[in-house]
Amino acid sequence: MTTLEKDDIQGLLIRGHGNLSSASYLLYTFTDPAKARVFLQEIVPKVTTASEKPEEQALQIALTYEGLAFLKLPPALLNSFCREFKEGMTELQRQFILGDTGENAPQNWTWGEKNIHLMLMVFGKDLEKLESTLSQIKILTASFQVELLHTLPTGMLHARKEHFGFRDDISRPIIRELLKEVPGDTAGTFPAGEFIMGYKNLYDEYAPSPTVPEALDKEGELPHHPDDATLKDLGKNGTYLVFRQMEQKVHAFWQYMQAQSSDKASAIALASKMVGRWPDGSPLTLCPNQPDPNLSEANDFGFWKEDKAGLKCPIGSHIRRTNPRDHLVTENTQKDSTEMAAKHRMIRKGRPYGPPVTPELKPEDMLDSIEDDRERGLHFICMVTDIRRQFEFVQNNWVNFHKFGGLENDADPIIGNHYQHESRKTNEFSIPKYPVRRKLDHLPNFTIIKGGAYFFFPGIRALQYMANHD
Amino acid sequence: MDCNWQTNFFILSKNFYQPMSTVHKGLTITVTLDEEKIPYVNGLLFEYRKDLSIYQEKYHKSLPSTFFISWLTLPAQTYAGKEKLPARIILMSSYVGSKSSHIQELATFLGPQIKQVLSQSREYPKNDLDKPGLVSFLKRKSIPNTFYSGFKFISTTEVDKEKKLKAEVWKYAQGLADQGDPSSPKEVKEKIENFVKNHPQLVWASKKIPYGLSNKVHMLWPLALFGLVMLTSLVSIVLCFFIDPLVIKILACILPLFILVVVFLFLLLRLNENISHEPSPELSDEKVREIVALETNPVINEMTVIAPLKRGWIRRVFLALTLKLVGLVSYFAYIPTVHTARWLQMDKGKRLVFIANFDNLSEAYAHDFVDSERRSMNMAVIFSHAFGFPATRWLVHKQYNHRSNYMKGVRAHQKVTQFWYTCQQDLSVENLKRNRAFRAGLYKEMDDPEIKDWLLTL
Ligand code: HEM
Repeated sequence: MTTLEKDDIQGLLIRGHGNLSSASYLLYTFTDPAKARVFLQEIVPKVTTASEKPEEQALQIALTYEGLAFLKLPPALLNSFCREFKEGMTELQRQFILGDTGENAPQNWTWGEKNIHLMLMVFGKDLEKLESTLSQIKILTASFQVELLHTLPTGMLHARKEHFGFRDDISRPIIRELLKEVPGDTAGTFPAGEFIMGYKNLYDEYAPSPTVPEALDKEGELPHHPDDATLKDLGKNGTYLVFRQMEQKVHAFWQYMQAQSSDKASAIALASKMVGRWPDGSPLTLCPNQPDPNLSEANDFGFWKEDKAGLKCPIGSHIRRTNPRDHLVTENTQKDSTEMAAKHRMIRKGRPYGPPVTPELKPEDMLDSIEDDRERGLHFICMVTDIRRQFEFVQNNWVNFHKFGGLENDADPIIGNHYQHESRKTNEFSIPKYPVRRKLDHLPNFTIIKGGAYFFFPGIRALQYMANHD
Repeated sequence: MDCNWQTNFFILSKNFYQPMSTVHKGLTITVTLDEEKIPYVNGLLFEYRKDLSIYQEKYHKSLPSTFFISWLTLPAQTYAGKEKLPARIILMSSYVGSKSSHIQELATFLGPQIKQVLSQSREYPKNDLDKPGLVSFLKRKSIPNTFYSGFKFISTTEVDKEKKLKAEVWKYAQGLADQGDPSSPKEVKEKIENFVKNHPQLVWASKKIPYGLSNKVHMLWPLALFGLVMLTSLVSIVLCFFIDPLVIKILACILPLFILVVVFLFLLLRLNENISHEPSPELSDEKVREIVALETNPVINEMTVIAPLKRGWIRRVFLALTLKLVGLVSYFAYIPTVHTARWLQMDKGKRLVFIANFDNLSEAYAHDFVDSERRSMNMAVIFSHAFGFPATRWLVHKQYNHRSNYMKGVRAHQKVTQFWYTCQQDLSVENLKRNRAFRAGLYKEMDDPEIKDWLLTL
């Protein structure tokens, strides 16, 4: 089996730094290309690689297309990035694909502007450690006139929950090359190329990757591209990082559930139908009637045999849309469904931000909570080698397409953009049941996009190449 | 567009339109065009596209047999590195019922536009055509295609009616559920059926779906005939051992001959596959943007891919045979999320034309072809003959970088469709099929689990 070059891969790609409970994401703009390159030379040795297991702190680095262009990297290199990365998340076509319209349109975002060049992701084992790392970084950035535009603090919540009170980060694609032994049955595992450039993906091809003509790698810092010996592989051991800051309207969420239900238990059951798991994480497919704490991390289930009609876990629920597993309504066989769904996975690395509504995020308590004016949400982060095939496809075709799975007017109940106008209505949620499906209407937006960008999350050698490029 | 055309033409009312069957078909009309006229024709087609957004309702009423129209100019292309294939105007519609009445309908409602555009071609007669003249010109210029429909046997009128039927019944059933009606599945079904029967606007649904059997016969007789000929041949081979008439001998030759031809063609194809693969040049970001900018419809969009074939006559012959065979089995074919699609060859088989009307965006749609092993094999049967598309071995076996070459091939040969009409903009294929499944289940004998499944279509 191929071995991953962990020394060259940034740590976050293969671990979430969960032990480093404090983190901050810092968005910068460069002011001078030469200084920016020297800054990179200084900071690259501090970047945490995948071969380390940091106990105290970690630092990761990502750049936008504008950032790379600002560094005056060669046009051939810049052009070799995929179109969606070059266009950026706020470009019109991308907005359309992502469903970032109305309330979610970029003009309403607090960040996402074109002059964001760089993101530093700083992790600390506690707040104190984080603060001390941040102050070192501050000194470094100031000396190279790298200007801070936005600081995005994060805060882990009780029992790995997200703000609506549901256990998050349960289902994760497993990279085959990271396993000690090659599994006999590869189902549920993924070749590295789905998430790390320079390796083969599910189509048995090398993941698309930015390149540099051989002549432009004078120091010979980069590996050759496996498909074309005249090119150097800038992407090797890197990936794309998709960042979306999503505010969560927690109060509105639970108010809506309450308004549609006779009591607290049915309000919680309704919210669970929308997520596809109970608040403790147990999947509706395995325990449709009530949560089962023994199953709170269960992820070994499918829909084809257990719940084709969606009577347990509605077809339109969040987890069934973002990963239909082995059942796509439009497919005739379980095999085709499984093969198709597998091509659109992502590694999620997000962290919540803002104060929780109640400390333990128990839905029973949240239903009684009083609305405050504090902002809270999720810094959604995912890593993919093909933005269009993986993240955008899911966001467009499964999350926001109101006809997903034979539905009529339903976008994802949790993260979909809900609205109604002449040619489109997306604010319903339907729950299959006997004798007739229940349709909920007028869902407000429970999440609002506040910012976002596409980043390149390079390998260490690629970072060095960029830093040393003249 | 001149608004008088609207009043000048007899408008076929949907209520009077009675198709003779509800089989879906594709009409493809094409004429050559001098290249310098392309911008002018494009201008006209884009103008009509604009009108369409204003007069959608009028189109809908006046084109009762029409589901989709794609109308575009095709620039000249090069075949086998040297031969220039002419620029063309292509008009492609998906319709229900008889070809003749569909052409009449087009000539009646879109006559002025069709004349204005087609008269740019040297193939168009010097003197202006009257309506019968236009109809016969369109018939002459129409070419065969292999057609697929994802929502078979539903007419344009039924699309609307079945949608309303389901919405009304859902409301009624919701009322039952709200009252906490504890009826058994059988009773629920009966109540729904009575509701439909007694509802003046829904009573039509209590009648049987028309043309059920004749539609199937219509679609399947060529396959049945083919099977019969082959079976007769097989039986004749056996009979040859016992009796000696000439007819039996001739019949006995058909099956072996057919197999021999297919094997021979396969061998020749395999030789051709050894010609080194020339990938399509990647389409520039600007060009892709130009294409996707037209894909803004909320539910259904369209894609036209037109590519010259790979060099070698065997490709042309093989593809022609394949398309014929695919046509025979199209009743059984299934392509997810596709409303209608067609494949055809033009310019003596040197060009492959593919159009599809599908749910959501082309990016998502193209994935349907490459993301499953089985389907990418099926696609290779047709697309591997087109220039720039992935190389294969023995027609379906993938070579390296199949997926990325396929995606590149699709984009590289995707054309801008200047004019595109859809009769409805709101229902996905799955919606259409469910609406039909609901209607088809009314008054049908079912046991309790079947009824429960049927109720889920609501
Ligand atoms: C504030 C926004 C969001 C919230 C509150 C949220 C919440 C959740 C929760 C509670 C789960 C179940 C836990 C698990 O299976 O790991 C989940 C799973 C998931 N979410 Fe989200 N999510 C959000 C945004 C997104 C976005 C933007 C995407 C991508 C477009 C996404 C993709 C996924 C995926 C792929 C899964 C795993 C599904 C599975 O494999 O079963 N989520 N999310």
